[in-house]
Amino acid sequence: MDYRIDGNPDYGQLTVTLAPGDSFLAEAGSMAYMSDGMKLKSRLIGGFLKALIRKFVAGESLFVGEYSHPTSGSATFSPNRPGSIRQRTMRNDTFILTAGSFMAATPGVKLTTRFGGLRAIFSGEGAFIIEASGQGELFFNSYGAIIEKQVDGALTVDTGHVVAWESGLTYDVATVGGVKSTLFSGEGLVMRFSGKGAIYLQTRTLGGMARWLTQFSR
Amino acid sequence: MDVQVAERGAFSWIQVRLEPGEQFISESGAMFRASPNIDIDVTTRNRGGGGILGGAARMFAGESFFLSTYSSNDGRPGEVGLAPTHQGQVQKIDCDGATDWICAGGSYLGSSQSLAINTQFQGFRGMLSGESLSFIAVSGAGVLLVNAFGKITGIDVAGGLTVDTGHVVAFQDSLSYSIGKAGGSLLQSFLTGEGLVLNFSGQGRIYVQSHNPDEFGREIGPMLPPRRG
Repeated sequence: MDYRIDGNPDYGQLTVTLAPGDSFLAEAGSMAYMSDGMKLKSRLIGGFLKALIRKFVAGESLFVGEYSHPTSGSATFSPNRPGSIRQRTMRNDTFILTAGSFMAATPGVKLTTRFGGLRAIFSGEGAFIIEASGQGELFFNSYGAIIEKQVDGALTVDTGHVVAWESGLTYDVATVGGVKSTLFSGEGLVMRFSGKGAIYLQTRTLGGMARWLTQFSR
Repeated sequence: MDVQVAERGAFSWIQVRLEPGEQFISESGAMFRASPNIDIDVTTRNRGGGGILGGAARMFAGESFFLSTYSSNDGRPGEVGLAPTHQGQVQKIDCDGATDWICAGGSYLGSSQSLAINTQFQGFRGMLSGESLSFIAVSGAGVLLVNAFGKITGIDVAGGLTVDTGHVVAFQDSLSYSIGKAGGSLLQSFLTGEGLVLNFSGQGRIYVQSHNPDEFGREIGPMLPPRRG
């Protein structure tokens, strides 16, 4: 399998070329165009019950599309939100994605949905996180550009800007500006990461865009 | 007439320079600047589309009800600047008159007077509803402007290409096309979230957009408060 990412940072899209026998998993609904003869099957990620919960609680897709081509062909995928796409090679390590950041993977990558607990709910990034492990290529996306930052020690990040992080990092959720402002505005929550590893941040948030648009809603 | 795409990134806009006697048409609301000698005539276009009904058809095609026509009023050249609603590229298509173009409803930005735009194009009649699949047929020789959400990629189809309906910007009518489902069966198509696709075959050029504006709308919609009333 070959892949190409173009259009970053504002309109990233991913093109994969599949040889016979290759298959590729992509977020439901993300296919933009593809060669004639491409085969598409739906596959469940993260187990039926968890997928179902994610569907109804987090409003996420239950299924991913599995693409293959009997001879050879290519498919181009784009996320729902304009922004950047990053690739990461998984080598039997663990990588954590916030809900909505997962885009695509090769079949050797194992994806599990995990309830992130109260921390995740309060992080504003949805109650579920996706844990990737196994081996292969993983693709994830952001709203806006993606910044990669190596943490060795600690880093405080606005919750809405977190896209993904390596498992060497742990976090807790903290407030800035007092509990009252947090409860009433949804603002002022930060994630405090500590440990050692890479963290990926997005330069814009969809929530921020929605809040700005809301004032014009009639 | 001189039509220039002014930026290539997310914020493309168009500069149209009109000689006396020339006219240019755009989707109404696309004009953001004009030289003082430009007359702007807002009409429902009669050609092909048929007056008010044509206007209504355009409205259903995801286009504004009215089209604006620009011309110079003092016998000297004038300039019009056009900008689309969405962030993304604008593509200028030089129509040669030999091959018609089909343009997605939301992708039409403007065209020279010499082009006939048929908003009552029925090429996709009888398909499943649920997705806004409205297209405009463009014929004649002249300049056609299309806009996109994101990046525009031009593909010369030789053989076959399947495109999600939300990513189609415009294509040459020399291509054969049929509405289909990406997943083979209706269930597979539904489960994978890939709705309707267009299966293209034959020879011709197609422009696709990197992002689907409706999908972005559906993503951000639930974060907005409900509309009043």
